[in-house]
Amino acid sequence: MVFGRIDRPIIFWEDGSSIIDESVTKLKRILEGKPETAFVTEQYMKNYTTIYDMCTQKPPENYSDQLYNKFRGIFEEYAKQTVLPSIMEKHDEYMLREFSQRWDINKIMVKWLSHFFFYLDRFYTARANLPNLNKAGMTCFRDHVYESIHFNAKQVIIALIHKEREDQQIDRALLKNVLDLFVQNGMESMDRYENDFEKFFLEETTSYYSRKASSWIQADTCPEYMIKAEESLKKEKERVTHYLHSDTEPKLIKGVQDVLLVSVAKDLLEMEDSGCSALLRDDKTDDLARMYRLYHAIPKGLEPVSEAFRLHVTSEGNTLIRQAEDKATNNNVVEQDVIRRIIDLHHKYMVYVTECFQNHTLFYKALKQAFEIFCNKKVAGISSAELLAMFCDNFFKKSLNDKSNDESTIESTIENVVKLLDYISDKDHFAEFYRKKLARRLLLDRNFNDEHERTILTKLKAQFGGQFTSKMEGMLTDMQLAKEHHSGFDTYIGNSGKPKGMDFTVTVLTTGFWPSYKTSDLNLPLEMVSCIESFKAYYETKTKHRKLMLIYSLGNCHLNGRFDSKPIELIVSTYQAAVLCAFNNTERLTYQELLEQLNLGHEDLARVLHSLSCSKYKILNKEPATKTISKTDSFEFNSKFTDKLRRIRVPLPPIDDRRRVVEDVDNDRRYAIDACLVRIMKSRKVFSHQQLVSECIEQLSRMFKPDIKVIKKRIEDLIGREFLERDTENPNTYKYVA
Amino acid sequence: MRETVKLISMEGFEFVIDREAAMVSQTIRSMLTSPGGFSESKDGVVTFPDISTTILEKICQYFYWSLQYSRGKETKFHIEPELTLELMMAANYLHT
Repeated sequence: MVFGRIDRPIIFWEDGSSIIDESVTKLKRILEGKPETAFVTEQYMKNYTTIYDMCTQKPPENYSDQLYNKFRGIFEEYAKQTVLPSIMEKHDEYMLREFSQRWDINKIMVKWLSHFFFYLDRFYTARANLPNLNKAGMTCFRDHVYESIHFNAKQVIIALIHKEREDQQIDRALLKNVLDLFVQNGMESMDRYENDFEKFFLEETTSYYSRKASSWIQADTCPEYMIKAEESLKKEKERVTHYLHSDTEPKLIKGVQDVLLVSVAKDLLEMEDSGCSALLRDDKTDDLARMYRLYHAIPKGLEPVSEAFRLHVTSEGNTLIRQAEDKATNNNVVEQDVIRRIIDLHHKYMVYVTECFQNHTLFYKALKQAFEIFCNKKVAGISSAELLAMFCDNFFKKSLNDKSNDESTIESTIENVVKLLDYISDKDHFAEFYRKKLARRLLLDRNFNDEHERTILTKLKAQFGGQFTSKMEGMLTDMQLAKEHHSGFDTYIGNSGKPKGMDFTVTVLTTGFWPSYKTSDLNLPLEMVSCIESFKAYYETKTKHRKLMLIYSLGNCHLNGRFDSKPIELIVSTYQAAVLCAFNNTERLTYQELLEQLNLGHEDLARVLHSLSCSKYKILNKEPATKTISKTDSFEFNSKFTDKLRRIRVPLPPIDDRRRVVEDVDNDRRYAIDACLVRIMKSRKVFSHQQLVSECIEQLSRMFKPDIKVIKKRIEDLIGREFLERDTENPNTYKYVA
Repeated sequence: MRETVKLISMEGFEFVIDREAAMVSQTIRSMLTSPGGFSESKDGVVTFPDISTTILEKICQYFYWSLQYSRGKETKFHIEPELTLELMMAANYLHT
């Protein structure tokens, strides 16, 4: 240290060097655990100062270069003379242990000597562009020890891991230390670890598991194999936490998965009697959940599983439909049963999707596709849309009488219906059937639960849009309004002072909402005419400019029949009442006379007469007493008629309007297709045929599946009506005509 | 862990200062914290046979000033001009 005191002695190389050597030897002895006194006071200072001096002296006594080389030399020599031989003379685990310990010693030595030689790092190493002391020390170890040992070390490590895989105990801490060593000897990068160890480890792992896979797949069932596979993956993950570097984990897991799961996927999943389909068949939810867990991590691994699921559900559904067909007798399908079973099936497999398959979209899709296939099949000629509507109808009727159905059952049934409707492609058919049945419920049965009806409409609206339910909601509103009119009318009659005549009520329906009903210009019996007139007058006071059209086909009448034995109250339709009242004046009437008097059509009259003379209750006697009505028959009031009940309902056989419903809907569809096509062309202006057709199908798919032929026809029609035109150059393209 | 350390100058003067203050010098810090049973770390005593008392005293003052400065007390540290050269060299040695 030149402190301005010239008397400070210059330290020459040999002296300085020997001081250092002394310390180094001492250090080695300490590190090797040999008996040695600890460094005494001043020794640190002495070493540091010596080196400091030697570096700051003016040349030629500036020994920085030599000191750096000496530093390196210390490690090199130590490595060659002592470290390497001591490792090489051992084998297996002992060798690893020695390797690990020597590495730790080396680290400490580097640190200590760096303290002494520290001054070099402050200026010299950077200026001379040399690696710093720490790096130099480590590099020595790497070049002279690691390079020679790592191959053998790797062999030993892999052998130990193999031992552990065969369920034997090994020294995990040792492995961790040695593998850390590999990592650290890569200096800044992982390439030593990767190239000298990891590569071989992964190879060994894949061949190990590949052997296992082949033997397992021969001997085990699918569930057993899966359990073993899961176990192996778990153990390998643990292995990483115990001693492997975390970078290895993804590569390891992928390797094991590839061998255990991917390459055997086909054999495993399609295994006879225990593969995917069998597990579904036997409801083995645990095994299926395991299968999901295992294949979830593999890209595209779940596709075969979801495919098997879809096929299984489809076949279950098809079986269900077939069974229903078999059970159906004379078109008398027990729709309650079928729909209930479909709902149950849906529920069962939805649980699978949520629990076994963790809500994965692939399985939702599979379930949806499966249901869409068999939900659109007909059962004994009746479409599923109609079946569902029938189901709802019966359900609502029953729930009125059956008080045991509590609110939550009703709520959940309604929800299930809505879910099922989602799978049916002809939703508009359902809407129409439902609407017709709703009308019957509201008008004929009179007892309906407004709340329940509204609940299902709300849910349908939420799922399918307001347009789907707007008419039906209107119907319900009409019924509410009708009640108000009833009381209003009563007040009116009371106020007018006129006698009311017979007891009657009128329900006013808004035309657009309700299904269209045939009406006829029935000649009412006189008694009824005045009632109608007074109601019309009342209605005029409420709203002007509205035309009331009377639909007699829907009305109900209570007649008192004065029969010989006892009077019986007859509940009949208005038509039937009109016919019966005609007999108030005469005993006997022919078919022709009745036809003229009442101004009814043939079809209606025949039906009515049939119900009064050829069915269960013979209120009229027919001549000749055949089973069918003919135009030459004549009728007579049957005063001898009686029944044990005091009040009987004489039903009119309902018309089978299924075909009409389908026709009506098909008509509506044509309008919908037209509107859709025009809408699309208006926004696109120019569109090719293919694109137009596919977009149209997509937009309409919410309601129904349009027939391509019909679409084509509608396009032609629109061209004729000059909404669209064909492009002159390209006949496959259409242009919008504004 | 001792609270104080003793720095001894070439004339044998002993300066007892806080450990934290002494650690401002990197050299002293390594000495005190290096593993290996150096007596310096055990006893907490460091001898500087090449640093005079005056300089060592100034150095100790510097340590404390440095701590205060780093805590926000921004004052000036006055160095007598005739001490400057020796002080710089000591600083270099002590890596301060």
